Amino acid sequence: MTKNPFHLGFLMAGLRVTLHFYCHRDRALAMARAVRRHRSSILLIGLARGLAVAATLLTGLSCTKSDEVNFNRDIRPILNKQCVACHGGIRRQGDLNLLFRAEALLPGKSGKAAIVPFDAAASELIRRVSHGDPNERMPQDRDPLSGEDVRLLEQWINGGAPWTPHWAYVAPKDPELPAVSDPSWPKKPLDTFILARLDQEGLTPSPQADCPTLLRRVSLDLVGLPPAAEHVASACEHADTYEAFVDSLLASPRFGERWASMWLDLARYADSKGYEKDIPRTIWRYRDWVIRAFNADMPFDQFTIEQLAGDLLPAPAEEQLVATGFHRNTMTNTEGGTDDEEFRVAAVIDRVNTTWEVWQGTSFGCVQCHGHPYDPFRHEDYYRFLAFFNNTEDWDQDNEMPTLPHFEDADREAGEALLAEIRDLEDELRAVAARPDITRARLAWEGQLDDPEIVGQVPGRSQNEVRRIVAIPVEERDVGQEAFLNAIYADIAPDPRLSDLRKARREKQQALAALEPVLTPIMRELPTERQRSTHVFERGSFLLKGAAVTAGVPAALPEMLPEAPRNRLGMAQWLVSIDNPLTARVMVNRFWEQLFGAGIVESLEDFGTQGEPPSHPELLDHLAITFMHEHDWSMKAIIKDIVRSATYRQSSAINHDLLERDPRNRLLARGPRFRLSAEQIRDQALAVSGLLRDHMYGPSVKPPQPDGLWQNPYDNTRWVTSTDDDRYRRGLYTYWRRTVPYPSMATFDSPSREFCVSRRVRTNTPLQALVSLNDPVFVEAAQALARRMIRQAAGPDPDAQLLAGYELALARAPTASELASLRTLYDEALSHYGASPDDAYAISGGYHSAELAATTVAANAILNLDAFVTKQ
Amino acid sequence: MHACHHYTSLTSRRDFLARLGLGLGGAALATLLNPSDPHNHGTLGIPHHVARAKRVIYLFQSGGPSQFELFDYKPLVNAMHGEELPDSVRRGQRLTGMTGFQNSLPLARSHFAFQQHGNSGAWVSELLPHTARIADELCFIKSLHTEAINHDPAITFFQTGSQIAGRPSFGSWLSYGLGADNKNLPAFCVLITKNKGGQPLYSRLWGNSFLPSLHQGVQFRSGKDPVLYLNNPDGISRTSRRKMLDRLRELHHLQQNHAVEARIAQYEMAYRMQTSVPEVMEFSDEPDHIFDLYGKDARDPGTFAANCLLARRLVERGVRFVQLYHQGWDHHGGLPAGIRQQCQETDQASAALVLDLKQRGLLDDTLVIWGGEFGRTNYCQGRLTDADYGRDHHPRCFSLWMAGGGARAGMSYGETDDFGYNIVRDPIHVHDFQATLLHLLGIDHERLTFKHQGRRYRLTDVHGHVVHDVLA
Repeated sequence: MTKNPFHLGFLMAGLRVTLHFYCHRDRALAMARAVRRHRSSILLIGLARGLAVAATLLTGLSCTKSDEVNFNRDIRPILNKQCVACHGGIRRQGDLNLLFRAEALLPGKSGKAAIVPFDAAASELIRRVSHGDPNERMPQDRDPLSGEDVRLLEQWINGGAPWTPHWAYVAPKDPELPAVSDPSWPKKPLDTFILARLDQEGLTPSPQADCPTLLRRVSLDLVGLPPAAEHVASACEHADTYEAFVDSLLASPRFGERWASMWLDLARYADSKGYEKDIPRTIWRYRDWVIRAFNADMPFDQFTIEQLAGDLLPAPAEEQLVATGFHRNTMTNTEGGTDDEEFRVAAVIDRVNTTWEVWQGTSFGCVQCHGHPYDPFRHEDYYRFLAFFNNTEDWDQDNEMPTLPHFEDADREAGEALLAEIRDLEDELRAVAARPDITRARLAWEGQLDDPEIVGQVPGRSQNEVRRIVAIPVEERDVGQEAFLNAIYADIAPDPRLSDLRKARREKQQALAALEPVLTPIMRELPTERQRSTHVFERGSFLLKGAAVTAGVPAALPEMLPEAPRNRLGMAQWLVSIDNPLTARVMVNRFWEQLFGAGIVESLEDFGTQGEPPSHPELLDHLAITFMHEHDWSMKAIIKDIVRSATYRQSSAINHDLLERDPRNRLLARGPRFRLSAEQIRDQALAVSGLLRDHMYGPSVKPPQPDGLWQNPYDNTRWVTSTDDDRYRRGLYTYWRRTVPYPSMATFDSPSREFCVSRRVRTNTPLQALVSLNDPVFVEAAQALARRMIRQAAGPDPDAQLLAGYELALARAPTASELASLRTLYDEALSHYGASPDDAYAISGGYHSAELAATTVAANAILNLDAFVTKQ
Repeated sequence: MHACHHYTSLTSRRDFLARLGLGLGGAALATLLNPSDPHNHGTLGIPHHVARAKRVIYLFQSGGPSQFELFDYKPLVNAMHGEELPDSVRRGQRLTGMTGFQNSLPLARSHFAFQQHGNSGAWVSELLPHTARIADELCFIKSLHTEAINHDPAITFFQTGSQIAGRPSFGSWLSYGLGADNKNLPAFCVLITKNKGGQPLYSRLWGNSFLPSLHQGVQFRSGKDPVLYLNNPDGISRTSRRKMLDRLRELHHLQQNHAVEARIAQYEMAYRMQTSVPEVMEFSDEPDHIFDLYGKDARDPGTFAANCLLARRLVERGVRFVQLYHQGWDHHGGLPAGIRQQCQETDQASAALVLDLKQRGLLDDTLVIWGGEFGRTNYCQGRLTDADYGRDHHPRCFSLWMAGGGARAGMSYGETDDFGYNIVRDPIHVHDFQATLLHLLGIDHERLTFKHQGRRYRLTDVHGHVVHDVLA
């Protein structure tokens, strides 16, 4: 992880070469060829990486008057918009690829170079974009480039056509703190970047939010629940309590539950296998691992390595194996007649795409079928990376193998012993099946597999694989294929030596099953002899195998450390090496988005050239550097920095001017204000009504949902509504079936978890109002809140009850007008229920009290206030 | 679904967008324009050309109806009953895991007789007498083909343009592109025949994926709560609810926050839906001759026939896209009895819907589609007897029909070989079909895009050609 001196020398040499490259026009073409031989793109990017100063030099490089043209700002957008669709990663028409400088300087099919540095007049690109004949002019069949664009291109080429890497692929450098108009405002270094930008725009920050509002905001943000009203009252009496309040939230076990929700969207965690049958899956121990990791403030580098490659660590602990459930959350297709290899590959592809989205903020999925259309990733880069994931044991099997058994404490010893005995019996079975006479019998059996009766003995899910291998002549099969057939045959051969062993195994397995171990899917690497070779898939199809590739990372990014293993572990270490320009930025941006409602890079999932540019680039780098170096990847520490900032503490109140100037609050001249997440909306209603139970961990639970939603003819799983406390647990413990998501959560924009989601798009639909008005869960919360209001008021005075309800819900007192409105509502309801005792009985949840019924209606209204479902 | 933008109190688009402040992506905002201005409806720039269809009713037949028993008449297969499918026809193409092991692939004749119908002379089997009677209204396509051979990827491909979960459904794209024509009902409604077995259906098929969730299909269910949580809880009358919402609005106005207008509108539309949904689902105003037309099942809520009638009522009220599903067409075995039952459930009501729309003058700009996710094999799966057989999944050719909405009536398009195995003329890929549907709706399929993960996504991915020959 540290930079070695050799590396540095190499970079400096690269810098010298590149300076030559730009400044001596007469040598440019010769150099282009020479540099291409030396893989100039690596050189250029290597130059920029690691060494912040090199990047600065490169960006600011100027030999001529071209310094006002900035490649990334002025030129790349023109190329992306006008050129690369035909001359880029997908198509290279005329043998021209404008994604890589070295290639753009080479002569194309016409023999002419598109770009001749320092000589726009000799550059084919300029000739073609400014051609008078529409048949010759580029882009073909489209409007010509504007005169301004052509002028920029000319100026850029005449300046040497410098080609700076996209910002996201250059390692962040620690920026200097900018000067600001009011040095007393910042509470954290990060505030200076916000204020400096506001200064530029002639805006001033908003005042700090009032204490109850701020405490509610930070409580919802850090633990996903509102603060208890009484805590707020006492905390707000002491001026210095904000920091202490934040610390107590960070230390709360609720912290892990709240932040796990964010991570589980990325991990596409669910309690079912997906696809059409979507049968249940037991992988909640992975969910619990995530909660524990957040609560323990596991450093993000460790958090990464354990999830991606915990099984490859030396002597992994049980929890480190559970962590690998991250990539066992891929879907399994158990539909009849599917090709297991097809869906194994689909899962592996999903692992590649998810890894890139989560850690690198890159839409790598594009590269599955062809070179990246805009970003410097080549088709084979995808499959080299896929090779890291292509050798795990799982292959779309119903039984989810491999799994990790977990026993109750009392059963552990017996369970481990049974597992060992079963393993021994398996070994013996295979050894016996490998004896020459049984192998001969197997070869005869292979010849009879056309008979449906014979093949029918093979477990359905293995039939395709057996057929595939049997079609290969015996002498051409590899060890793994033979071992596979041997194992299958050992399980079905009529030989008594085998059937005795199978009987013994079955007994042990039954004894094991009686202990009801929890079987959690995990990652496990295939033994060496059964490792798969990885090929490029032409056009992304697993049926069209191209050239074989070995595992590796894209050339456009830093290389793996030479000593790192070329497997998932080395890959995970590469992701969290401090040389990786993306990981820390992508991660701090996620935290920022969770807290402010929009990322510094708004496209959380795409830091590439087509993503949104950062609103505050230096701030992003400052946070990334702080996260890695100052906080050693502590997620709690970086989150704490942000919530203790002056930026975060601003009031979210908005005036008309600010609304005009910055409707989406990208400049952050005010605090964040947005609707709560699906989980928070549920949890908050349960919390303020006193129903919430804080029991943690364990199998997912089934709070009430409407009848008839689970109608899957392929399995007899039923939604059996949980009883007792399990009805009232936090939303993240709700059973998550991918094809039938829990309706109230889906209505509030939670994803299906069939695939990785970085951002939940918040919407506003009438169905949401129907949920919070009418869903029995929310009605029950209103009833409980009403009872709580009466207890709290300690008397029959409706105003006192309404005041209590408002305070319980919003952590602050209502204004006189608000209270008056609630009172009118109460009085209207009371007069109705006084005359309709049956209605009163029904709405109050079984009490003969018009007063309680009226309070319930008021509570229902409070739980539907905009201020209640909004963080502000 | 289209929701809270249906109010007129806001003064300008910019105000509205600003006030919304809900963090919607830029492109999605375009759909939230004030619908009172006809030029500001749906995604900017749409329609791209004059629309032939304004709304769609898609009668999705889930499981893969067999073209051999319905529309694709193959005398040669009938004549070669029991003989092996020649390798020269199959050409080593991929089979599913269900028949991949069969050592014999015997051709199976259709158990049902075919006849030509109408002026157009379309071939329709005896299983579909009502459909046959309206043959001249229909555009039969015999040459659809798809890429998937298993149900989940195939139906996901048909409805989202991708075999893998993660893209918006067709109806969501329409809602996103065209907006809504009714301020009290969702733009995209989903109706599923009750009590059917077969392939499960799942919300992904009408899901919004990366589009804002207001574009997701809303399932209407037969029974007490036709839309989830539509009914007030026991003890809250409609009057009580109105009073409570009035106070809630008062409280929201006291907040003096720009965002509350959107919140108020959200609750008002929910309140209106509480009337408009039961009203559209209440059939008591339908005369007897309408029930006679659709068949007696139409009086039984949740049946396919009742859903067809409900679909008509929904489009009459301006709903943009009604997606019906009827499961049970996956006849790997017991095909003759199974398909007869399926046809009895669907034939009359499907034809009735077309006739009913026509007599109301709605067929011209309402597109009706009838079909499944793939076809079935010409060879038998399992044991072939004179009375019984089954067919496996077949992606390389299958049939469906369209009616109204700019589809060319009285046409049979495309042709399969004499074995009904490969297409020999005018193939239509699923993406072509999707491009054609969008075209009929006034949308250029290459221009209805949504930026996500740095890429502009569209229903047809990077494929699809409008099939102009099937347009009226």
